[in-house]
Amino acid sequence: MKKYWTVFRISWQKELEYRFNFLLGRLRNILVLLLLYFVWHTLTSPTGTFAGYDRNELVTFVLGASVLRSIVFGTQARSVAAEINDGTFSAYLVKPVHHLLFVFFRELAQRCLHTLTAVFEVAVFSVLVDARILIQIQWPWLALFFVSTSLALILYFLLSYTVNLIAFWSREAMGPKFLFDWFLEFASGAYFPLDILASGLFAVFASLPFFYLLYFPIQVYLGRMPFLQVAGGIGLQLIWIGLCILGARFVWARGLMRFTGEGI
Amino acid sequence: MKILRKHFRVWKRLSALAIGSYLSSRVDSASYLLGKLIRFGFFLLLIVSIFRFTKTLAGYSRYEVIFFFLTFNLIDVFSQAFFRGIYQFKNDILRGNFDYVLSKPVNALFYSMSRLTDVLDIVFLVPIVLLIFYTAGKLPAPITAGAVILYVLLLISGVLIVLGIHILSASITIWIIESENVIWLYREAMTLGRFPPEIFPGTVRVVFTFVLPILLAVAFPAKAFLGLLSWRWILFAFGYTVSFFCLSLLLWRASLAKYSSASS
Repeated sequence: MKKYWTVFRISWQKELEYRFNFLLGRLRNILVLLLLYFVWHTLTSPTGTFAGYDRNELVTFVLGASVLRSIVFGTQARSVAAEINDGTFSAYLVKPVHHLLFVFFRELAQRCLHTLTAVFEVAVFSVLVDARILIQIQWPWLALFFVSTSLALILYFLLSYTVNLIAFWSREAMGPKFLFDWFLEFASGAYFPLDILASGLFAVFASLPFFYLLYFPIQVYLGRMPFLQVAGGIGLQLIWIGLCILGARFVWARGLMRFTGEGI
Repeated sequence: MKILRKHFRVWKRLSALAIGSYLSSRVDSASYLLGKLIRFGFFLLLIVSIFRFTKTLAGYSRYEVIFFFLTFNLIDVFSQAFFRGIYQFKNDILRGNFDYVLSKPVNALFYSMSRLTDVLDIVFLVPIVLLIFYTAGKLPAPITAGAVILYVLLLISGVLIVLGIHILSASITIWIIESENVIWLYREAMTLGRFPPEIFPGTVRVVFTFVLPILLAVAFPAKAFLGLLSWRWILFAFGYTVSFFCLSLLLWRASLAKYSSASS
């Protein structure tokens, strides 16, 4: 395990290599937050509620989604496709590391750093706009939120990693990844609570694994789901993770048989 | 005229090469186009879903909000279609390739900006324009010739502002090479134009009208079409556009004077 923590440390340092660029990247998140916050703020202005949410719940959803995105969504797995296509992936095959764990720890460093900055950004933003965030004080819901978020982190990583392994079959992996990323962003509830959609559409999204990446953990945090539903949701997260592990192993094994190391 | 014809011929040749590149990667191209349509469709779905619960957003009806959204898309997608080359500018500076651009008998800024015409975004413009026509027909206020003319003129003004921002981004890249996030900062700032500007508080509107004129670029055309923009603001928009564009060109020239090659 020590080698993976070394990977974590190196990845952390790399993230901070170009600090101006890093700061600009964080500023981008604040701009996204501006739009989302004020849309929901405007919608709740007349009556204080919208679509079954009160203003504080919607504000917490928007700001919570911003922090959760930093925890759950990463970008390091995307480099897997590029490494496969340019041949640098071959180096991992001769190193005494498990590739999936290597990429996971590389990504974990990025997520930890981005989470720290996201919490700071949301705190500053909340103070500037006087946003009232709901603080969950009931420890059972906090514990369930922590569990569901941890599972969401693993689920997203497995999904992203498996999709990136498409590069074993095609040099044209960037386009499908772009499509996957955008569908995932919306289907996970990153931009709006999915239950404002018509019931039929909501049911469709609830049947997908992306539902459990952001929307589900935030609903757990807000205490809007009964305990049995939360338990069922966590069970489904575990099932999706199991399926993704099987999928990743299958794609990895098949992909390695095709890998030719072009570009070495 | 001779110089314009020469640059048009260069643009035609570069665009033909870009189209060839897209057609040679059909899976990537199809996935990118589908991803853009999904992103567009989901935001449209968000607006439609919001209006399941309310009759107005910041005083605007459903079709008026959709009109703002479509106008934002028109300017955003148009600029991405024709100014996409700027995203590669950083690599040119890093690798010293910009030296070769400077040695060519065409304007270096023109070449850098227009060498990658995004044919996918040109295709994407078609449904946007069609939807604008459809939505305009559904608006409560009658359409007048004056409104249409003002709309087109302010669209052109908006594109010039966006072009100015791209030029500023290129200038900053010459000064601070690791500034990849500058252009992406602009992209995120542009998304503030997805909804009517009245959802934002005064301070935000002031900053994004006078400092980084995003709202001026994307919201003013829609407001003029809806008859909500006074002549003072219209004249201000045109005057500001000319000043902003000239300032961006001056900064570009100053940056070129400071440019020193990395290596080539």
